Amino acid sequence: MKRVVITGLGAVSPLGTDVPALMQGIEEGKSAVRYMDGWNQYTGLRSLVGAPAKVVNEKLIPRTIRRSMGRMSIFSVQAADQAFADSGINREMISSGRIGCIVGSTMGSSQSLNDAFELMLPEKDLTCLPAMKFFQCVSHTAAMNVAHYLGLTGYVMATSAACASGLQAVGAGYDLIRLGKQDAMLCGGAEELHPTVTGSFDILFATSANFNHEPEKTPRPFDANRDGLVCGEGSGILLLEEYEHAVERKARIYAEIIGYHTCGSGVHVSQSNKDSIIGCFRHALKDAGIGPEDVDYINAHATATIHGDKEEAEAIREVFGGFVPVSSLKGYIGHTLGASGSIELIASLIMMDKECIYPTRNLESVSHDCEGIYHVMNKLNKKINILFKNCFAFGGINASIVCKKLK
Amino acid sequence: MTEQEIIKLTNQVFEESFEIEKEKLKPEMNIFQDLGLDSLDIVDLVVALQNKFGVKIRNDDRIKNIRTLGDIYKFVLSLKAEGASPSL
Repeated sequence: MKRVVITGLGAVSPLGTDVPALMQGIEEGKSAVRYMDGWNQYTGLRSLVGAPAKVVNEKLIPRTIRRSMGRMSIFSVQAADQAFADSGINREMISSGRIGCIVGSTMGSSQSLNDAFELMLPEKDLTCLPAMKFFQCVSHTAAMNVAHYLGLTGYVMATSAACASGLQAVGAGYDLIRLGKQDAMLCGGAEELHPTVTGSFDILFATSANFNHEPEKTPRPFDANRDGLVCGEGSGILLLEEYEHAVERKARIYAEIIGYHTCGSGVHVSQSNKDSIIGCFRHALKDAGIGPEDVDYINAHATATIHGDKEEAEAIREVFGGFVPVSSLKGYIGHTLGASGSIELIASLIMMDKECIYPTRNLESVSHDCEGIYHVMNKLNKKINILFKNCFAFGGINASIVCKKLK
Repeated sequence: MTEQEIIKLTNQVFEESFEIEKEKLKPEMNIFQDLGLDSLDIVDLVVALQNKFGVKIRNDDRIKNIRTLGDIYKFVLSLKAEGASPSL
């Protein structure tokens, strides 16, 4: 099997339009969560907060390429562009067929889906539909648009596993490169904030509804007063590259991916399950050839739901004990759903580079059911040799990835 | 609706939907070679013209013969002459 390293990072997040803006916001302890004007028109929507990202400079994308993009594709194309530039890979490689992309999301552009139904359904008239709505609505819209924008001729795929989509994309890219199928892959996730998206969690009582007038105080991962998740949006894209290929061109290497696992719980479609999470952790550690004691930092999924945080904390406690620092980034940027795995992995790689761990924002009083693990509640200066990133999703889907700093 | 109004509204469609500068919008311009539209854009052009003029033209075979911006002006004028829509 070939070795796989990460040589490029790109992100559009609720904290800004690139990776430095994301990290500066986290460093300063900022919250991107806002009261969402206009959402109170939706009857029954209890959660009126969100973490929006800004669409900027979209006109730099030529119209004939941009026309098939909803917000999430614009985010992902810009993030992919950043990652590609950051990697320094020669543009001539783009048409070699040896570089592709995997970009995951829960679904296609939620705004475009909404627009399409609003146009078509009142009169049940298909003649009102513009041609481009289809391309904005399909589940592989972000992957398709990244490939089209950059001219990629290698593998083009889309993972669709809700909140695990982005991490599954990175894992799938890792598998393709280590099997020798591709030399490099742009991998990550994208998602779009929309009241119908928050609403789909809200009707299941999984959203935060107690902080509509104090938005910066939510979400509260692992906290005693947590009351649910807050949806965000954006895209995170990483450039994965075969190790020898990266070394030969003297690329900057952020880390090596040494292990990955994804699995279903087979138990429940919405509730996280501790036992299956434990299984995922152990398979990922085995794939990496390391023990839990070798891990220096766990970047948790921890969205601040009552049940999900408890199950993740219990699983971490059982596998890693109470000595591995754990933090969640949802308090800064909300839950960017399909993008969360890749955006948060990018932030974790920067933490590895800076040798510091940022705390779980809004974690003031650890909930008794989340005790027994090492919660990072203040910035912690620590060398991270190996980091462990989790994502869990509706559908009972778990994913964990292990990255190691190269000496 | 006058011919000038039809030209103005048609040009608006090209500016709004296809981001084409006003200076390029001359009757002799070929909408494919000069203005850069392709087959997918034609679907959106039909929807935009329907919305702008309140007509239903998706199944009108005359669309297939349109090559220039001037052809579109003439097509919309002919719809007006036929009384295809109350808004014309």
